[in-house]
Amino acid sequence: MAGTPPRHPLHGTTLLAWRNLTHDRPRFVVTLIGVVFAVLLMGVELGLLVGFARTTSGIVDHSGADLWIVPAGTTNVDIAGRLDERRRFQALAVPGVAAVDPLMMQFGFWKKPDGGNESVALVGVDIASRRGGPWNLVEGRVEDLQQQDAVIIDRLYAAKLGVQRLGDTIEINAKRARVVGFTQGLRTFTQSPYVFMTHRNALAYSNYRPDQTTYLLVTLAPGADAEGVRRAIRERLVTVDVWHTAAFARQAQKYWLITTGAGSALLLSALLGLVVGVVIVGQTLYATTVDRLPEYATLRAIGAPAGYLNRVILKQAGISAALGFGVGTLAVYAVVAITAFGNVAVIMPAWLVLVLALLTVVMCAFGALISIRRLVRIDPTSVFA
Amino acid sequence: MSAAPTVRLEGVGVTYGEGAAALRALAGVTLDIAAGEVTLLLGPSGSGKTTLLQVMGCLLRPTHGRVQLFGRALDGATPEALAALRLAHVGFVFQHYNLFPTLRAWENVAIALDLKGRTPPAQREEAMALLDRLGLGDRATHFPSELSGGQKQRVAIARALAGTPGLILADEPTAALDSRTGQGVVATLRELATREGCAVVIVSHDPRVEPFADRVLHLEDGRVLDDRRVRRDEAS
Repeated sequence: MAGTPPRHPLHGTTLLAWRNLTHDRPRFVVTLIGVVFAVLLMGVELGLLVGFARTTSGIVDHSGADLWIVPAGTTNVDIAGRLDERRRFQALAVPGVAAVDPLMMQFGFWKKPDGGNESVALVGVDIASRRGGPWNLVEGRVEDLQQQDAVIIDRLYAAKLGVQRLGDTIEINAKRARVVGFTQGLRTFTQSPYVFMTHRNALAYSNYRPDQTTYLLVTLAPGADAEGVRRAIRERLVTVDVWHTAAFARQAQKYWLITTGAGSALLLSALLGLVVGVVIVGQTLYATTVDRLPEYATLRAIGAPAGYLNRVILKQAGISAALGFGVGTLAVYAVVAITAFGNVAVIMPAWLVLVLALLTVVMCAFGALISIRRLVRIDPTSVFA
Repeated sequence: MSAAPTVRLEGVGVTYGEGAAALRALAGVTLDIAAGEVTLLLGPSGSGKTTLLQVMGCLLRPTHGRVQLFGRALDGATPEALAALRLAHVGFVFQHYNLFPTLRAWENVAIALDLKGRTPPAQREEAMALLDRLGLGDRATHFPSELSGGQKQRVAIARALAGTPGLILADEPTAALDSRTGQGVVATLRELATREGCAVVIVSHDPRVEPFADRVLHLEDGRVLDDRRVRRDEAS
C-alpha cells in the first residue's frame, strides 16, 4: 500500500491541538514568545525576590547558631541596639545552652585608597567559634583575621570599595585596615558591604565599649529543647528578644521586603508578567479557535462531546505552556548565571522552578478559558450553512 | 412485529424565531426512513430539506412533533445526549467535505474513531481499511489540500462510515463536484446502503442522483408534497 501512514505518538485531541498550533507557524511563534516573555518576567521578578530575601537574612542563615539573643525590639539583622556582655554569662547559665558567642554589627565609614568614602557594615565575629563568620571564602583564610587590622570583604564590592587585591590597605572610621581575604557572593540589602573582622577588632573600629556587643549567638547542648531554652533565656534576660535562627531570618526578610515595599514591587511585577502571559495566550488561542470554528462545529456535529472540544483547547494551552516554560526557564537560568557576579542576585531554587511551572499552567489555563467559553456556544447546525 | 425504522418522524414541525418574525421551516412532516434504502430529498431552496436532515441527524430539536432514532424517542434529550446519539448512529457527509485541513486523510478518519473510543492502533488500522475500501489507500498520508474534490468527498464518506453508523446523512454531496465524480460519490453511497444495510438520506438538487435512490421525497414550504418509490432497475 503506497500511502501507509507512519506511526506517530500523537492522536485524537493531542494531534488536533498540536496541528492547530503548528499549522499557523507565525502565530505559534508569537504565542511561544508571549509565554517565554511572561515566564522570564515572572521568573526574574520572583528570583529577585528570593535573592533579596536571602540577602537580607544571609548573616543569620549562615550563622550556624541555634538561637539569637537580640536587643529588644530588633526587627532585622542590619540595624540593632547593643547588649552588655554580662548577658552572655546569664545565657550561659541557662540549662541546655552549650555556648554563647558575640556578634557585633555596626555601620562604619570606609575610606578608599583614592580618598572616597563608602558606608560599610562592620561584622565582628568570634574567630574561635566562627559563628556569624564569613563564608564562601575564595581568597585568604579566616585565621588571618586574627591580625590586628585584618578585614575580609566580598569580591562583588571590591571595586566599589576601591580594593583590588589581598594586602590593600584602607581606613575604617579613620583607623587603618588591611584586606586579608575575599568572599564571593555575600551581598547586602542595605548596599553597605559587609566587612568581616574579629569581634575584638570590631570593638576597636567602632564606638562600642569593650563590654558591649550587638548579638549573642547561642549553640544548644545536644538534645536540648530549643523552644524550652529560648523561653528560659527570655525569662532570665528579660529585656532582650530571643529568636530561633530560622524565625529571625524570616523576620529580617519580612522587614526589608514588606516594610520597605521592595517585595511588593517585585510581586507586582511578577503579577504583571502573569497578566501579560494570560492576555497573550488568551488572545492567540482565541484567534486560533475562531479561525477553526467550522472544524469545531464539524466535530460537534459528528458527535464530539463538549469535553472533547475543550480538551483540544486545553491541550493547545498545555503545549504552549510546556514549550514556553522550557524556553522561558532556560532564559531565566541565563539571567541567574549573569547576575551571579552582580550586586543584585536572581536566585532560582528548585521549589521556585515548580512555582513558575504552576504559574505558567495557571496562565495558559486562564488564557484558554475565553476560547472554551466561545466553544460552549458553538452551533453544530452551522456546518450546513 | 417488524423492526423499528431507522428514523421515524411524527408530525414534526420546526419554526425559527417568534412572533411576526417567525419562519416555519417544517410543518407536520410524518415519515419513516428504512434501513438499506437510499432516500433522496428534493425541493427548491428554503423548502426545508436541510432542516429535515438536521432533525433526522439529532442536530436540531423540532418545535413540534416526535422523532425516533432506532426506536428511541428523542423527546427531552439534552444536547450531550443528542451528541452521543449522533456519534453512535449517524454519519454525516457535507457539501464542502468539512475535513480538518491540518490532518492527513487517514487522520481525518481516525478522529471519528477516536471519538468512538478506539485505541490509537485500532484507529489507524480501521481508518486505513475504510480508505482502502473507498479506493484511497494510496492517498492516506495526503492532506486535504493535496486531494481532488472527489477524493476529499470519499475521505468524508470514510469518516462518516467510521464505526459503522446505521444512518448516513449527506447534504448536497455532489454539489462541489464535476458530474462524473459526483456520480461516483453517489454510487458509493448507494453501495453502502445495499451492502451495509444502512439508511442513506441525500439532500440534493442534482437530478442525476435520482437513479441511485430507492425513494424520492419532494418538499416544498416545509411539507412533503410527494413521496414516491423509484424502480431503480428502470430508472437507471
